[in-house]
Amino acid sequence: MAFGKNGKPLREFHMLKLSRTLLYLIYFLSKTPRLATVLLYLLRPLYVPVRETFLNKKFRYGLLTFGAGLLSPDVLKAYGYGARAIIDNINEVIRNAREGRPIVWVEWILNPEMLDAFDVTSFNSAILNVFGNAYGAEGPYSLIEEAEKFGVPVEYCSAMKLDMGAYITGQIPRPALTIAGSHPCDTNVSITQSFEYLLGVPSFIFDVPYWKDGYSYEYFEKQVWEQIDFLEKNLGRKIDWDRLRDMLERLNKFNYYLSEICEMQRATPCPGTHFNLLFAWVVRELNVRSPHAIKMTEALYRAVKKRYDRGKGVVKKEKIRVLLWFPPIAFFTYLFKWMEHEFGAVVVADFIGNVSTVQIDTSSKESMIRDFAVTQMHLAMGRQCHGPAEFITDEMVSYIDGYSVDCMIFTGHQGCKHGWAAAKIIQDTCKKKNLPALYLSIDIMDQRHLDEQGVRNQITEFFRSHGWVE
Amino acid sequence: MGGMKVFEKIRNLAEKDFNEYLDAEKQKGRKIIGYFCSYVPEEILHAAGFVPYRMRAVGSGSTARGDVYFASLNCTFVRHCFSKALEGDFAFLEGVVFMNGCDHTRRMYDNWRHARLAPSYLHMFTAPHLINPLALDHFEGELQKFKKSLEDHFGLIITPESLIESMQVYNRKRALLAEISSIRKDPAVPIKGSEFLALMLAVTAQPVEEAVTLLEEVREACRGRRTAREGDLRIFLSAGCVEEISHLELIEECGGAVVADNLCMGSRHYDALTDASQPPLRALAERYLTHLSCPRMMNDFRRRLKYMADVREGYAVDAVIAEKLKFCDLWGGEIFLYRQESKKRDFPLLTLERELYGGGTGQIRTRLQAFFEQIRNRRTIAGDPVRSDSSNEVRH
Ligand code: SF4
Ligand code: SF4
Repeated sequence: MAFGKNGKPLREFHMLKLSRTLLYLIYFLSKTPRLATVLLYLLRPLYVPVRETFLNKKFRYGLLTFGAGLLSPDVLKAYGYGARAIIDNINEVIRNAREGRPIVWVEWILNPEMLDAFDVTSFNSAILNVFGNAYGAEGPYSLIEEAEKFGVPVEYCSAMKLDMGAYITGQIPRPALTIAGSHPCDTNVSITQSFEYLLGVPSFIFDVPYWKDGYSYEYFEKQVWEQIDFLEKNLGRKIDWDRLRDMLERLNKFNYYLSEICEMQRATPCPGTHFNLLFAWVVRELNVRSPHAIKMTEALYRAVKKRYDRGKGVVKKEKIRVLLWFPPIAFFTYLFKWMEHEFGAVVVADFIGNVSTVQIDTSSKESMIRDFAVTQMHLAMGRQCHGPAEFITDEMVSYIDGYSVDCMIFTGHQGCKHGWAAAKIIQDTCKKKNLPALYLSIDIMDQRHLDEQGVRNQITEFFRSHGWVE
Repeated sequence: MGGMKVFEKIRNLAEKDFNEYLDAEKQKGRKIIGYFCSYVPEEILHAAGFVPYRMRAVGSGSTARGDVYFASLNCTFVRHCFSKALEGDFAFLEGVVFMNGCDHTRRMYDNWRHARLAPSYLHMFTAPHLINPLALDHFEGELQKFKKSLEDHFGLIITPESLIESMQVYNRKRALLAEISSIRKDPAVPIKGSEFLALMLAVTAQPVEEAVTLLEEVREACRGRRTAREGDLRIFLSAGCVEEISHLELIEECGGAVVADNLCMGSRHYDALTDASQPPLRALAERYLTHLSCPRMMNDFRRRLKYMADVREGYAVDAVIAEKLKFCDLWGGEIFLYRQESKKRDFPLLTLERELYGGGTGQIRTRLQAFFEQIRNRRTIAGDPVRSDSSNEVRH
């Protein structure tokens, strides 16, 4: 495959390994969080004010993502745990690929908890959607281009084109089995079939119901039972119910801490940077099975709670409370800290980081599967996008009302056709609530459409035009 | 009715969104209910005493009004239909049944309500994305919900007997459509692809009883008829919401005879009959879930492929044309897979990307002519397979 140094193909798993290097860097920095914070802050001139250059491209994205010295040390420490959880997954996956042991792909809106009960390695093929940027800005779009050259439809959501690009260029491993679903959108419905065709491995597909009512939950629950049969048959081993119980109890805690953080974000001033929730979501997607995942959420919870109890905000002077609606911009994860630092604008709620779930009753097999099914159907993007427009707007309105929001930034992602088809409904909902809104036309994975600077310009202009900043 | 006359009549019906048959039914007080997608069970509407009407963009001049609600990244079928709805072109309907067919059509249900468009009965009917026993049970429940929503809204009861009667008459209609379609196996091609599409448009905008009569006339009119010309290439056409007769005529003008298809307004509509020996809702669920699928069904690509392979053989197909409307992920993905198969199995494939009623005829004509030319050359030059590649894309 084409891209790489001097047009040579990339080595196998090169981008995955690069992601791991970045995560190791964060992990080690988080060991001495105070020192690291000072260091990251002092080095800011090398990577913050300037665009990506030949010299800084391998570390700029990573250091910006992890706050560029603007995170408090306790939060940086928490991120270290999250980084460790992902590193462990990458290591295991690379080892398995080398040794020919099975890897199960689990789609990004279906968490890998069930795989824990089978003690088998899970892998989220969307990992490079975020960490592909560690390669530099061209990392993600080069993978997208490779997929398009391969014939994948141009109109697909770039998130999934990127997965395909990563697979065909050998940046992610080949699975033994796949677990996928019919949500959230047509691209997923379609590309799942392409992967199934190309991979030729057994695949279990969840038919995710359109509605969220008793009848639909029950249908999904029955499918979880079928998933167990599928895994037992294809892995040649029985489910370990004790392991599942243990996993789901950890998941309950994980979700508890995040739900609490979401609640605290309602306070004025807002006690935490919303990127905490986004990063937690990434960790959940990639390796919620790791004990480090729960350490991360617990540490994040403590860090936010400390500020909340003292009535302190994440910024000294909170000026604007922002609702970020629709998928976050993967190539500009620094957006949160940038808005906080530059304008005192704090994202208090968003589409992906906010948690909506149930506590799983682990008292019996039946109760576990029943509640687990509900948690799966409530994962971000799946819960809003797969269903009527009210699933998007009702949640949006609940944040507008419940988080004292001043404005909304809508990240209108190119490939998201159902999103565009609901854009007027979203706009009219904002109008009705008298909420100023900025509608970005963007590709969240591919900054050739609107790049980081373009996003900064539009947001700055938006804040200025409302008289919130000079 | 004479052979030519019946085809004229069909053409006439196909080119209108509202016709004299519907008008007559309205005069009699019968309600007309629109529905999107071949997964919506017409029998339930019929058993309720209504005339099911397949929604269409026929007669739409532009997408302008729909574009206020939908974006340029949305499919033109949806934008045209919604424009028509905003124009009041569907004022004759007493209800609309939507479907989660794709991301574009499912938002029609949302925008329709948001725009507060009539009629008052708007129902979102959902179908599974999988074909398996669990999905079938679930789907049967969906049918039950649909039936109940009609009963509640219109204050009526749909009896098992009326459902069985409806199933019988719809089976008759489907069997006739299948029979007429299959006479295209004959090298004489007694009915052209464009005529068959017109027929589909006509019989989905008529009471089923009238449609059966019309189909019987068409069957008669096809006897001994010949439309094939010397050198015509026999085409299998695979696509989603294609409804422009003129587009099929263009293929014909360029030397192609569409002898089989996998279209929403084609074989997917009449494939498979309901099994009258089963309880009605179960039988309907089974028929609608397992009929020839479209790419929204996630575990059925191999069967679609087999259908195409069987048809290619049974209908002596020379080439496949696969089309998608712009921004359609589902057909985009299907075409990606067709391309892989075309390379593997070495069959000629032309892929077109267009907009519904979008013009660009000149460009499409050139593509078709070049493709047909290639196939003819291939017949004379051994070992020069005509394969598709991404350059086979028409973008305009
Ligand atoms: S952003 Fe939109 S198009 Fe992309 S995966 Fe999510 S729902 Fe699908
Ligand atoms: S052509 Fe594709 S996008 Fe358009 S309505 Fe049909 S399935 Fe949906």
